[in-house]
Amino acid sequence: MTAKLDIWGLSKSFGDLEVLKDISFKIKDQELVAIVGPSGCGKTTLLRMIAGIETPDGGGISIDGKALKGPGPDRGFVFQQDSLFPWRTVWQNAVLGLEIDGKLDSERVARTRELLKLVGLSKFEKYYPNQISGGMRQRVNLARALAIDPKVLIMDEPFSALDAQTREIMQLELMRIWQEGRKTVLFITHQIDEAVFLADRIVVLGRRPGWVRETIDIDLPRPRPLSVKRTPEFGAYVDRVWNLIERDVYASVQEDIEATAP
Amino acid sequence: MSEVSAGVRSKKAAASWTRPLFWTSAVSIVAGLLMWELAGRFIVKKALFLTTPSQIVVEMWRLTASGQLKQHLYVSGIEFGTGLAIAIVLGIAIGFLMATNKYAKRALGPWVSALYATPTVAISPLIILWAGIDIWSKVIVVVINSVFPMIINTEAGLRSTDRQLIEAARCFGASRLQVFWKVLLPSATPFLLAGVKLAVGRGLVAVVVAELFGSRAGLGFLLAQASDAFNMPLLFVSVTILAVTGMALTGLIGGLERYFLPWRAKAGE
Repeated sequence: MTAKLDIWGLSKSFGDLEVLKDISFKIKDQELVAIVGPSGCGKTTLLRMIAGIETPDGGGISIDGKALKGPGPDRGFVFQQDSLFPWRTVWQNAVLGLEIDGKLDSERVARTRELLKLVGLSKFEKYYPNQISGGMRQRVNLARALAIDPKVLIMDEPFSALDAQTREIMQLELMRIWQEGRKTVLFITHQIDEAVFLADRIVVLGRRPGWVRETIDIDLPRPRPLSVKRTPEFGAYVDRVWNLIERDVYASVQEDIEATAP
Repeated sequence: MSEVSAGVRSKKAAASWTRPLFWTSAVSIVAGLLMWELAGRFIVKKALFLTTPSQIVVEMWRLTASGQLKQHLYVSGIEFGTGLAIAIVLGIAIGFLMATNKYAKRALGPWVSALYATPTVAISPLIILWAGIDIWSKVIVVVINSVFPMIINTEAGLRSTDRQLIEAARCFGASRLQVFWKVLLPSATPFLLAGVKLAVGRGLVAVVVAELFGSRAGLGFLLAQASDAFNMPLLFVSVTILAVTGMALTGLIGGLERYFLPWRAKAGE
């Protein structure tokens, strides 16, 4: 098995606080892998390392067998909530990555136009982020990440700020777009059902420090309609993941209560 | 979507000259001036206690025709313009330093907050003593009055930049310079323009007060002359010019805001 994204033995501490402990997993080409974990599982640190803006204490990350050195256009990011630039129009936001990389040529401009069409925002190129809905903004976010034509698409809780209905629509949209372009995707989420619905495989993390508790293959046929969420198989997967992280979630809630207690 | 189109519609309605709303300000100004004129002619009668708008216009015409007004405006304009330009550039530089370097922040912070709160026009006589009676003393007074709001706003603007946006830019491989030009600066622009607005107001006061303390020309000089001679129409000419200049500059900055911050204009409706 050749891995598109290979993460091995990743560890990191900040002072005395151990954040990540021996994180290893691989993502194959065109595979969609979801990471699920309770708060405190070190996902932010993991993400920053994959982005190349944080260096690990041990272990490493490679894409297509090449070890990462700093940020690069081989990775595209879709962030949680609003990471669009409010002073840039939809179009200017979409081409941000190309602009930073100094690769804004006519071919890529044309491709970005196609991408905006793919996410259904062709008519909104001249709009500012505060003029469009949350769901539309996350579509722009997706187009911006895809515009640099990355080898791996990394999505950090992209739908967490959306209302439940919009979230379901966006999950379907992501499936459609992913099936058309077949990118390699790493999808980080708190929603267990979102992970089961989208992923080929789920990496379940434990907390304090973050470690790989288990990896679960999701054998649900594709394409998956929304109705798959009501099947017993789907429910069984959700239960399995929930059972794995339940203790951790209670522990993190308890910790929050203690931390905020007067 | 409906929000967007509603916003556009209300803007059009406000701008249409067939609506009473459009004329409200103009009617208010005309009515006010008319009441002032009538009060001066029929109630107070003595020009020393209440000069009338018509007398001010006549006096302004006299000064314009003799070329004096142009001369005074020129001197004050140079002093104000030069001082403001220096204050803006210097303020942005120091604000940037304080936002990016914690030692600079610690070292300069107390001075900036103390001097921002001090009405530094009060030391104008000292500055005139040091730098002479000509334009440079006034330029300095304008700078020390206008630079502090610029510093404070620049620093606040750069600091308030959304961390998430910086992080996003860095994930896309932005260099430090690109982070500055593409994230920090655009994000701080509303603060910078607010700083300029404050600097303009303070600078206008500074130039006039400094000229009052000692000068050979300028609007403040004209004010001092009028006051010494109890020439109230002349006094009001200077005041009127200051009021109009203040309004014009505020309008200009409003225009700059619409130009530099189109996303804000569209959100504000």
